[in-house]
Amino acid sequence: MFSSTSRTEQDLQASVRKACSGEESAPKRKHVRGCIVYTWDHKASKAFWEAMKLLPIQSDEIQMFKSLIVIHKVLQEGHPSSLVGGYRNIPWIESLGRTFPGDGMKNYGRLIREYVSYIIKKLHFHHDHRGFNGTFEYEEYVSLKVVSDPNEGYEAILDLLGLQDALDDFQRLIFASIHRSKGSECVVSALVPLVAESYGIHKFLVSMLRAMHRSAESDEVLQPLRDRFYDQYRRLYEFYADCSSIRYLTTLITIPKISVNPPNLMIEDSDTNGNGNG
Amino acid sequence: MSARKSVMRSIKNVVNGYSSTQAMVRTATSNDPSGPTTSQMADIANHTYQMSEFHEVMEMIDRRLNDKGKNWRHIAKSLTLLDYLVRYGSDDVVLWAKDNLYIIKTLREFQFSDITGHDQGAIIRVKAKELTGLLKDDERLRQERELARERAND
Repeated sequence: MFSSTSRTEQDLQASVRKACSGEESAPKRKHVRGCIVYTWDHKASKAFWEAMKLLPIQSDEIQMFKSLIVIHKVLQEGHPSSLVGGYRNIPWIESLGRTFPGDGMKNYGRLIREYVSYIIKKLHFHHDHRGFNGTFEYEEYVSLKVVSDPNEGYEAILDLLGLQDALDDFQRLIFASIHRSKGSECVVSALVPLVAESYGIHKFLVSMLRAMHRSAESDEVLQPLRDRFYDQYRRLYEFYADCSSIRYLTTLITIPKISVNPPNLMIEDSDTNGNGNG
Repeated sequence: MSARKSVMRSIKNVVNGYSSTQAMVRTATSNDPSGPTTSQMADIANHTYQMSEFHEVMEMIDRRLNDKGKNWRHIAKSLTLLDYLVRYGSDDVVLWAKDNLYIIKTLREFQFSDITGHDQGAIIRVKAKELTGLLKDDERLRQERELARERAND
């Protein structure tokens, strides 16, 4: 209501262009922030998507990979309309995944395909489950809603587990591609949104599973969800340990610390505000 | 050097037609290595209780928060100032900050390294994280404002 800035569409186009440059480096935060802030200023993402589509990213693998990082960041931190806009643009995003068959000239081919498929999974999730924000920052009411409707809750948890699995597959591919020292910063910077997202999903899973265990009559129904969660937890622990060994990453973000042993799902959720990444 | 810069700043204030309130904010959030002082911030807080002046203050903070990486001190100091205003300023400051939370939130990944390669962004990332945490916790914010009011009345 008091907003006084007037970032124009031209500013946005410049931010998009500079964030998605062809240089093999991390997208500059300054320009990514420009895109994010624009969607909030205007409470709309249409201009962002249009600016993205104007870029000649189909001609360069690095530029395309960087664009996917930028898209992911805007989906996470941008105005909620960014998620809606992303869902509408799924066909275009899919087309990006078909541009470089095989490994590509610069070895970004597979990374791009996997990133595209992850982003599309994410967009479907947000479309099916409104009420989650882009970074899965904890909101109490979502887990409350889940308890009131166990079927919907079961479904939401299942889909969250699926998304976390897809995220895990993608982070493994990234780690497998890092070995080349030159330009690794570009690949590593894709881990930044993944760390934030995986932790957000994790927090939700713990809280929702606890709520389900409190309200469900038999534990047996929840057995498959529990098993999958514990299995996932082990991999999440390793993921954060791997991330902690990359200096570039640890100076930029705080890698969440989770204990070796998975949290007890049978107890009351003591972490009432649960805002771990605030 | 700093003296010359402060002269330049006062010239800019006149040339750009900044009001005295805005000039105050500009001084408090300048590229000077020191500051803002508590008395500067208290002064500005007092100016947020009148609507027209409130707008002037927030407009200037908004501009400073969106400044270039090179001017990281503008951003760091504006976060310090805003944190103070959220506690000691008018209720409108809290409303503004919540409305524009994304401006603060997106600074949690701010990056800037100076020519010696020293990471100057860290201070901004920490300040942005703390302020975001405070603004999202209504209960804590209420307590902090109450505490601030008591302190001001002492």
